[in-house]
Amino acid sequence: MSDLAIELFGITKRFGPKVAVNGVSFSVPRGAVYGLIGPNGAGKTTTFSMMCGYLYPSEGTLTVMDVDPSTPGALKGRVGALPQDAVLPPGWEVGALLTYWAKLSGLATPENEAREALDQVGLLDAWKVQTQALSHGMAKRTAMAQALMGRPPLVLLDEPTAGLDPRIAAQVRQVIKDMKGRQTVVVSSHNLQELEELCDAAAILDKGTLAQAGSMSELTGQGAEFRVQIASGTVIPPELTTLPDVTDARMEGESILVVRFGGQAKPEQVISRVVAHLLQSGVLILGVSRGRRLEDRVLQLL
Amino acid sequence: MCKSDRVTHTLDGLKETLVIFGAEFRRAVRSGRAVVLLGLYSMFSALVLLVIGKLTSDLRATMNERLAGAGADAESTARMMEETRKGVLGFLTSNDTSMMEALAQVPIEVLLVFKVTLFFLPAYVALMGFDQISGEVAPRSMRYLTVRARRSSVLLGKFLTQAALLVGLVLVIDLAIFVYARIANPDFGFAAMSLNLLKFWLAAIVFSLAYVALTTLCSSVFRTPGVSLVFNFILLFVFWLMDTVGRASGETGALRFLRYLSPSNYAGDLLHPNITEFGVSGAAYAAFATLFLLGAYGALRARDL
Repeated sequence: MSDLAIELFGITKRFGPKVAVNGVSFSVPRGAVYGLIGPNGAGKTTTFSMMCGYLYPSEGTLTVMDVDPSTPGALKGRVGALPQDAVLPPGWEVGALLTYWAKLSGLATPENEAREALDQVGLLDAWKVQTQALSHGMAKRTAMAQALMGRPPLVLLDEPTAGLDPRIAAQVRQVIKDMKGRQTVVVSSHNLQELEELCDAAAILDKGTLAQAGSMSELTGQGAEFRVQIASGTVIPPELTTLPDVTDARMEGESILVVRFGGQAKPEQVISRVVAHLLQSGVLILGVSRGRRLEDRVLQLL
Repeated sequence: MCKSDRVTHTLDGLKETLVIFGAEFRRAVRSGRAVVLLGLYSMFSALVLLVIGKLTSDLRATMNERLAGAGADAESTARMMEETRKGVLGFLTSNDTSMMEALAQVPIEVLLVFKVTLFFLPAYVALMGFDQISGEVAPRSMRYLTVRARRSSVLLGKFLTQAALLVGLVLVIDLAIFVYARIANPDFGFAAMSLNLLKFWLAAIVFSLAYVALTTLCSSVFRTPGVSLVFNFILLFVFWLMDTVGRASGETGALRFLRYLSPSNYAGDLLHPNITEFGVSGAAYAAFATLFLLGAYGALRARDL
């Protein structure tokens, strides 16, 4: 068994003349919560759909939980998926539909699994509700519940919190956090704050190509820079660059000091040294944050 | 893949098919659409039955009147009526003697209604199942299924659902026709009615399964249910045209072979008492059904969902 839950190598997907995904390669380690990031049309959903076996790659190799997702029946029991824009079939009660799907997944106690999954997303009350009568948020949570049934080793979630109210979105995020370490989770989302909070690593896609992939620490530069919010006092950046391991210091606007340091240095030591120097210079500090926001990094890349 | 893996794989596929069939059948039976379509087809069959019943009854009355006017006695009247009946039966069975003998006890209205309903059955099948696959592909609900079941299982499960619905529907319609015929023709005994009901039902099932498979194929080829339906009707028309042109070409025409490519060409022998004729006809329908299903699987297997 490979340590990787998902491995893409040179994956390309064409729809006629249009190239939706172009030569994308990255891998998702087992047990990680992995983000798929990118603007609209970046190829996130296409990549996601190829991982689920909905779409066949035009080129390249793709392995999901050690199998080729295009092999019939290969993903059964290995993957739970929340497709972004798949409509729940009409004419079903939510409970009956989930029980049917749990049975189809070969789960031993289908009804219990369906109830448990609905409970996880706070929708147990909707057991008897017809699928066509569900609100957008409820339908989303039902779709989320079907992906969680049977605790599959890999859960693929495309825009899991889109259209949900903040309370339910937080509940969904908690469900994802609870899976961390026990299951591999791939989350595709526009909400970068959410991904930063949830993910261990991510791939940033743009116009069908991979802009960058790596751990969240690598993407946000947590091991290479920090920001100091200045309350008052005068900061002289060249003085800071003379401190050990500091490679660059500059002001971003009037009150944010950005400090970069060497990859081998321990962040806590560099931060302490810089803060001590600032305090000695009479500068008052409001806060310190490591790295930069994922949003900033993504905006910089795209 | 070793032999035991293949067996497990096949068994798993069968299990999936049964789960899908069970769930989809329950949903279809409960849905208003199945009831509406059943009602529509029953009404259509009843209408055909009433029209044909009225026409045959009027024809009998007119003939009786004319024969009485010509001074014919009861015996000659009955003989004339029997001759007329044989003439119609001969027309319906292409003058096949053994078929005419086998169907001698069946009231002529039953045969006529059966022929008419059989002609329209493919259109009904298309209306019933045109969205069985495309109706799941277009809104992408198919994605919930294919992540937990093989595409072949989904296809077979859906096909079996439509087939089961049709088997039930055809039984209801045939039963109604035979009960009417029994009431209208006291000579038509219970044993003959039951036996012929079974034969007609079986013939209709064999006939319609090929068309259910054709509808499954059309539904698999297109994403949009409406397009599937239109394409299905176009194919039905093309098959009808091939059969008609093939027959019109006679025994020597260049296009005479066209009719062998149309399923409806083989409908005639489905009521044949000779097992060989029935077998050939049944095998032709089985071959069409298999071909259509394989095509449907090929289309669904190759497509992005």
